[in-house]
Amino acid sequence: MGEETIYEHLTQQGVSRRDFLTYCGVIAGGLGFNRLAPVSASGLPEKLADVPGADLTSFVSHALQTKPRLPVIWLEFQDCAGCTEALTRSQSPTLVDLVLNKISIDYHETLFAAAGFQAEAARQAAMEKYAGQYVLVVEGSIPVADDGVYCTVGGRTAVAILEEAAAGAAAIIATGNCAAYGGLPKAKPNPTNAKGVMELIADKPVVNIPGCPAIPEATTGTIANFLVFGELPELDDLGRPKAFYGTTIHDRCLRRPFYEAGKFAKSFDDEGARAGWCLYKLGCKGPTTYNACATIKWDGGLSFPIQSGHPCLGCSQPDFWDGGGFYQGQSAPLDRPAATVVGAAAVVGAAAGAGFAVANRSAKKKLVSIDATPGEETS
Amino acid sequence: MTWTDALEFLRGPLFRIAFLVFVAGLVYRLIRVVALGWPKDRVLSAGSKTKGVATTYAKGIGIFPFIPWVKQTFNGNAVTFLAGAMFHVGLILVIIFGTAHMLAWKSLLGFGWPTLPVPIIDWLAAATIVAMVALLVNRFTHPVVRKLSGPAEFLNWTLVFLPMVTGYLMTHHLFFRYEALFSLHMLTVDVMLIWIPFSRLSHFVFYFFSRTIHGAQFGKRAVTP
Repeated sequence: MGEETIYEHLTQQGVSRRDFLTYCGVIAGGLGFNRLAPVSASGLPEKLADVPGADLTSFVSHALQTKPRLPVIWLEFQDCAGCTEALTRSQSPTLVDLVLNKISIDYHETLFAAAGFQAEAARQAAMEKYAGQYVLVVEGSIPVADDGVYCTVGGRTAVAILEEAAAGAAAIIATGNCAAYGGLPKAKPNPTNAKGVMELIADKPVVNIPGCPAIPEATTGTIANFLVFGELPELDDLGRPKAFYGTTIHDRCLRRPFYEAGKFAKSFDDEGARAGWCLYKLGCKGPTTYNACATIKWDGGLSFPIQSGHPCLGCSQPDFWDGGGFYQGQSAPLDRPAATVVGAAAVVGAAAGAGFAVANRSAKKKLVSIDATPGEETS
Repeated sequence: MTWTDALEFLRGPLFRIAFLVFVAGLVYRLIRVVALGWPKDRVLSAGSKTKGVATTYAKGIGIFPFIPWVKQTFNGNAVTFLAGAMFHVGLILVIIFGTAHMLAWKSLLGFGWPTLPVPIIDWLAAATIVAMVALLVNRFTHPVVRKLSGPAEFLNWTLVFLPMVTGYLMTHHLFFRYEALFSLHMLTVDVMLIWIPFSRLSHFVFYFFSRTIHGAQFGKRAVTP
């Protein structure tokens, strides 16, 4: 059973050869983001050089016909299930449906029919059956304060469940900003001491797919990459696949020409906002945010926040909740010192200045008094 | 540590410290200057102090800079005058009327103002950088200015030049990642803010003191140059 190839698994589910090749084309398209010039560093062209014909679709179909099915176990901790919701509402059903429903998912709390002890048993069974093979997807941050009691599933802490599941995983995908970097639960003052997966698991390869929620195509595309190549995609310095996080929102933004021309919306209902001008002044974090929103977009390429008139919040960057006001221009300092603090600084400066001035004056007076009585020394 | 962490530190805690040092330092300098005292003035006025002050401001920043040939600086060393003027005008306009800078002011002061179009700010910034390079070259080539230039002058030049260059590269997304250049821009700005009160860069405040006092003295003695 473990050696059943993906192709065999799909044909058993009634997928025709024609549909299979269509799916291969879809996955190839998903991976094809790698071929965009800014991320050619991902090394895909070299990988394709070994393939006869060097055609991405035939490469994918060859891989799916020879590789065993890739099991996926999906855990949720301190999350809102938003990443799952985004996946299930994804308007690119072929890729998401193929990767998650037809090929991979073995355990998913939100999507599971089973509940309670049955679900727990299913997870244990999947972990034992596919030990060392499965991809573990984590959604939500993991609290470690007070022995991790702030998030428990079935009476066990998130930390314990994660460590157990990670031990048998081939690779871990942290989907959403919470699992990747701690996200909202980690926002100051971080009462539960929430952490991302990478901070807790050091001995397994971890890929971050941050976002709030993560772009479904980025999650499934990364799983597809593992499916086809048997390895994780190349990552940037924050552990994100370069294929999806290689460029900033700003670099690919449809409002970028207005930025260059210096045409900014100043409020959400002014003429500039109606004309679709740049949202930099309204707090857009696009220039420092690496994600694929501006290219893949949402809802089947319909739109993304900036296109819909809202500035980018920077949700694929670590600690974006604490990165200054969402509607405050990005160039502004993170916080304004209180007037009392500035006043105190001024008082300190004034006191130091006055102190030196008084000291100098008394020194000067001494000199003057010595000068005034020259006779004493000469006589 | 990533550039994102660095940027958060440089925009957050370090900027706050730099800003407070800037405020405390400037107040300290002001008190020191004011506390130097005023010598008792027992001499009868030969002219008008007010007129002297008005004349010296007109010569300094009001009218005469636009008729350069009446300025001794221009006749003595045209590069210092022209590049110096370009630098000061460009710097002030960029700092006050650049969109990104106005947003920084707005977050500190609580109110904003209209800004100049990005391309204009961009050309001004480029001109300012070119002017700074010209001024540096002038410091080496002009025999008199060379003698007047010590380590402090070159340090001042560097600490003003670095924010200019990093800011320019940042807005053009050149060479490095945006957040790396943003971090370097903030770092150099923070260092400059700390340095300003204790260096001659503080002339942006004390210029007005010396102009006023000299103008009044010249006017009183009727020797306004």
